[in-house]
Amino acid sequence: MSADGKPWLQAHWDGHVAVNFLTGGSGSGLLVIAGLAALAGQPLALASWIGLLLVAGGLAQVSLHLGRPVRGWRALTNLRTSWMTREAYAAAALMPCALLAALTDSPLAGMPAALAAAAFLYCQARILKESRGIPAWREPRIVPLIVLTGLAEGAAIYLLILLPGAHTFAVLVVGAVLLAVLAARYVAWKQYRTALHGRAPRASEEVLERAEGPFTGAGHVAPVLLLLVAAGVPQAQGILATLAAATVLLAGWGVKFAIVTRAGYNQGFAIDHTPSRGSGTGGVGSKPGW
Amino acid sequence: MTRYVMVADLERCVGCQTCTAACKHTNATAPGVQWRRVLDMEVGEYPDVRRAFVPVGCMHCADPPCMHVCPTTATGQRADGLVTIDYDICIGCSYCAVACPYQARYKVDRPAQAYAEGRMRNETNREDPGRQGVAQKCTFCIERIDYGQAHGLTPGIDPEATPACVNACIASALQFGDIEDPESNVSQLLATHKHFRMHEELGTEPGFYYLWEDQ
Amino acid sequence: MSAPAEKTVRKVPTYCYQCVAGPDLLTVKVVDGVATEVEPNFTAAEVTPSAGKVCVKAFGLVQKMYNPNRILTPMKRTNPKKGVDQDPGFVPISWDEALDAIAERLKTVQARGANDESGYPRIAASFGGGGTPTYYMGTLPAFLASIGPIDFGFGSGQGVKCYHSEHLYGELWHRAFTVAPDTPNTEFMLSFGYNVEASGGVCGVKRHADARARGAKRVQIEPHLSVTGACSAEWVPIRPKTDAAFMFGLLHVMLHEQRNRLDIPFLKHRTTSPYLVAPNGFFLRDPATRKPLVYDLSGQRAVPFDTPGIDPALEGSFKVSGLEIGADDDVWEHRLEKVQPAFQKLIDHTAEYTPLWAGRICDVPHKVIRRLALEFLDHARVGETVEVEGRELPYRPVSIALGKTVNNGWGGFDCCWARTLMACLVGALEVPGGTLGTTVRLNRPATDRNLSVKAHPDGFMDYPMNPTDKAGWLAKPDVRNANRTLIPLVANSPWSQALGPTHLAWMQQQKAPEHWPQATPPDIWFVYRTNPAISFWDTRQITEVMARFPFTVCFAMTADETNHFADILLPDATDLEGLQLIRVGGTKFIEQFWDYQGFALRQPVAEAQGDARDFTWIATELARRSGVLDKYVKAVNRGAAGVPLKGENYDFSLADDEPPSVEQVWDATCRAASAEITDGAEDQGLDWYREHGFRLAPFPRLKWYLYAAIEDAGLRFELPYQERLMRIGKQLGRRLHEHGISWWDEQLEEYDPLPEYKNYPEMWEKALERNFNVDIRDYPFWAVTARSMQYAWGGNAGIQMIREVAENIGGHGGVVINSGKAAELGLADGDLVEIRSPLNATRGRVVTRQGIRPDTLLMIGQFEHWATPFAKDLELPSLNKLVPMLLDLTDSTGSGSDLARVSISRVEKAP
Repeated sequence: MSADGKPWLQAHWDGHVAVNFLTGGSGSGLLVIAGLAALAGQPLALASWIGLLLVAGGLAQVSLHLGRPVRGWRALTNLRTSWMTREAYAAAALMPCALLAALTDSPLAGMPAALAAAAFLYCQARILKESRGIPAWREPRIVPLIVLTGLAEGAAIYLLILLPGAHTFAVLVVGAVLLAVLAARYVAWKQYRTALHGRAPRASEEVLERAEGPFTGAGHVAPVLLLLVAAGVPQAQGILATLAAATVLLAGWGVKFAIVTRAGYNQGFAIDHTPSRGSGTGGVGSKPGW
Repeated sequence: MTRYVMVADLERCVGCQTCTAACKHTNATAPGVQWRRVLDMEVGEYPDVRRAFVPVGCMHCADPPCMHVCPTTATGQRADGLVTIDYDICIGCSYCAVACPYQARYKVDRPAQAYAEGRMRNETNREDPGRQGVAQKCTFCIERIDYGQAHGLTPGIDPEATPACVNACIASALQFGDIEDPESNVSQLLATHKHFRMHEELGTEPGFYYLWEDQ
Repeated sequence: MSAPAEKTVRKVPTYCYQCVAGPDLLTVKVVDGVATEVEPNFTAAEVTPSAGKVCVKAFGLVQKMYNPNRILTPMKRTNPKKGVDQDPGFVPISWDEALDAIAERLKTVQARGANDESGYPRIAASFGGGGTPTYYMGTLPAFLASIGPIDFGFGSGQGVKCYHSEHLYGELWHRAFTVAPDTPNTEFMLSFGYNVEASGGVCGVKRHADARARGAKRVQIEPHLSVTGACSAEWVPIRPKTDAAFMFGLLHVMLHEQRNRLDIPFLKHRTTSPYLVAPNGFFLRDPATRKPLVYDLSGQRAVPFDTPGIDPALEGSFKVSGLEIGADDDVWEHRLEKVQPAFQKLIDHTAEYTPLWAGRICDVPHKVIRRLALEFLDHARVGETVEVEGRELPYRPVSIALGKTVNNGWGGFDCCWARTLMACLVGALEVPGGTLGTTVRLNRPATDRNLSVKAHPDGFMDYPMNPTDKAGWLAKPDVRNANRTLIPLVANSPWSQALGPTHLAWMQQQKAPEHWPQATPPDIWFVYRTNPAISFWDTRQITEVMARFPFTVCFAMTADETNHFADILLPDATDLEGLQLIRVGGTKFIEQFWDYQGFALRQPVAEAQGDARDFTWIATELARRSGVLDKYVKAVNRGAAGVPLKGENYDFSLADDEPPSVEQVWDATCRAASAEITDGAEDQGLDWYREHGFRLAPFPRLKWYLYAAIEDAGLRFELPYQERLMRIGKQLGRRLHEHGISWWDEQLEEYDPLPEYKNYPEMWEKALERNFNVDIRDYPFWAVTARSMQYAWGGNAGIQMIREVAENIGGHGGVVINSGKAAELGLADGDLVEIRSPLNATRGRVVTRQGIRPDTLLMIGQFEHWATPFAKDLELPSLNKLVPMLLDLTDSTGSGSDLARVSISRVEKAP
């Protein structure tokens, strides 16, 4: 808490919750990518297992953070307005679909799982956006950023799954998809940062500014270069693509972890005017920390 | 219609935290939990500095973000404007806490204990396990309001029906009442003073007004 | 399983008098016998100035009661060695053993005589809180009265932490132990460091909030933007300890630029302004009557001041004859000597104190000083009157208030004089809207200021100065702070000892000054509700002295830094556990002037914890075991517990041959109180007060204003010229020199008839350089302190909830430094720093604020505990450790200021 009105780093959502945005985003992104790839005849089962585990793991982490986990089922009771409830429903749909896809390895099972995963991923993004107490989260541009981050991580993991013994063409296609998603993620990131400028506490912006270099360099420039080189050097393709995927994944996780746990400064307090104090006159207001 | 609101006269407030302490007593909040508190804000640079004391807490917004995000409907809103929490439904996910732009919500997982050396009798006497692990915040002393209404008293006027912070305020800076009643104490204050609401731009329509100068 | 039983809920009325700005009434909610909530006493809303409310401190009482660190049985020390680094080895003992040990010691000591070989009382007692412990110690005063002379001189803050100059000069000039604006009626207030929003209690806070709401203007002149500065219309950041120059600048504008706007009739007829001053500085007197002379403009001749129908001159020079009486009845006869009225002397005296001069000293734009003087005059409404309870009084809604450090230590005299004089210049002293005294302690009776107005032959109020004439001067001090010997102005009331030069008592335990008895430690020292090891200065020296006291009895809440040196610890029932009836209302400290007066009861709201005992039981048992029961009960009957038990129409006296129970004492007191307030018509006892909590009767508002009593007695305020002080100062000087004592000479210089500004900041700098052999440039900051409403006098540094809420207020976290200055020094919020004065060093965390002068550091409250549970983990700095006890920095009233020159350096970066 601050006594002088300055925003402080929210502590309500800790690492447990952040993990859900990391693994849940990656897992649901993976299920989307894998579902689409399955339509093109690519393998589905392993990706579905991993996606399922990632999403379930994230949700398990969240449940550790609940004050009353036994009542957790009640999270399903406000579909009307709560994106958390919607996320729970999406998860409830995702689980059996992903399990089915994992067990059957059938493109037909992959599509429902992909749809549920897309919904889940979108819900996650909206959960952050509706957190109106946290300026860095409530910015609408966070929605495409979170969705594209999840997809990029999904594509990266899918690439990792595909690499051992996969067809070069498939790798190239997935690599190309990853490149496209990365480009979109970068644009979303820049748009998010631009939109947020001046609309969040300085401390939040400073955190994101510090993340800018690593996220751009390690999260985008490096994988793009690695993927391009990999496309031209087939003998090193495996290692380069693995490195590229890993950097995409880690950078995505890093930036989301930063957004949730480091840039999550709350609104703080502000006054429009200082009081007149007797026969004095009122003065200008203050919004400390902005 | 009735809508209960709080009015804080910044000209009167001295930042003494008597309201903070009174709230802690009345609501038996745990150490570190302050449903009502008073900020100490500095504006300007030396030597042109002003210092204002600003009571804050749940603003009982007309459009409360905390309620919309709640996945369990534990957070609700009454017809008289009070934003409520049903402790029996809340799962303690803290989504409401990050949705509140007034930092008004808390969650406490353990029984209150002010001293490491042991729990005090007043702490054990007032322990409320139902409030552990769930969201909590200022209720505008809802029990007092309901008691008052059941006994023909006027919230904001009769102490038994008035929030403890208002009763305790030694500078008479905090006032409480029905803004829909043009004759109420709060309506009269708002009519005679310039005022603002905090973070008005966020569109939450808080039920907490700050007076800063006479009209 | 059966249904849970319905909880039993009671609301018990009681009072809070933890600080001098009380008492305030409250109720405590008790659930199943456990105190749970403090609430206002709503039934008192209409009859108390605090509207039945209590401040934040009272909410700490529940934790105070149930604090797990409380000492709950009597204890005795097992380690005979005393020291900060010694474990006292306290072990529990029975009450019998504890009380018998004390009684035995008392009897042994008394058998050797009440006073020791140095002539000092063998028994000493220290109580904190500006007299407020009295409202918690039941009948202990009766016990103390029954065991002979007690040395109350070991101060725990008095003299250096109080409004010391105000107490003494305030009592002299307008029966004002404490001075306050008539806040309910004033329009314009100049506040020199008067931190009323922190120290004025509920009453002060509420009244000033009401004043703001009606558009009153207050200007806060203070080095930092205090809570009070925050609530003021304007803040003037003045250089520390230069307030006197600021006020002299204001006087200059009023006297030299705006003289025609002053209240001339008031000055002529209600002050000593027209008294003629003879060549040696004493009043010129009528040879026949020895009355001071004034020059009558209508008769064109000098006449005694009380000649009817005269028009006394305020200005000019006149050739007249008369008698001048100096020190020790030195007499000069003057024939047609050129003399001037005191007012003319004042005009001449203030000629050089221009706003330009003052502005340079105070580091304040001179235009601000001039503007404020003009605003003061604009609001003074000279000539207007108002009716109070059927009587017409002047209406002057301007006032001036002084805070600590402004009105104690060197410069305090100047400030008190200038403040009171400014009020006189516009007729705003003791009139509606103006500057008022609110309580008397040195003059008698203490119950009513108005009754203390007694005439002096010279036409102003008489004053019970300690004698300085050859026959009457007390050459051999009777207590260790020598109040009657060195401080004529402190008088000799039950309060006077506590207002002696307190640090002298501590200092001379180390080394007596020349030609002075070597001070002995007291054989028995009682300590209650005070912790001088934290709350006095040079705390290292204080603890060394305490360690040498042979037998110390501490009434103890928890372990603390003073009872660390105790031999016996006694757990008394705390605020919410004890029984006592006190007087409330009328006019009391700070802004406590009420429209009612009467009595309030403090009662146990729940069972006392552990084996804590009611104070009255302890006092009675001590008296019984010490063999003074009859004297003790007689003292109770006389009123030592607050109310005489026998009056004209009633007699509730207790039998003195057997120990009365606690309930018997307070039932009789309640009955006597009921009888007193109803002239004997009613006699409700303890049960009635337990249920109702208080009983009040109207108090006439006219009694707020001493002006009425002064006017009725045909008297004048003794301003501006201090002929009487000059005389006693000269006499005191002669007495001291006759005994070879010259170490008080600088103090003697302060007995000026018109105070001359001295370079006060430089006095501190030079004294530190001289005594510590340092270059003051190595200590570039002024360190000051400020009162915290949450902590002041509460003895509550170990209360968790108080700490929690206090942290919401800027500055409670460490050392406050100007943000720009901090940046310049590379310091950031949260850095651990060492603040070092020439004496010692303290540590704390940096708190940057814009609202403080760049040359000033602020440390709020009194901390750096090392024994008190909870408090010792707070990592808070304390100015007390840094301020030396020096005779050089002791003024003539025996007071000093909370002020040090310090350096700041980082120990480690913020985590």
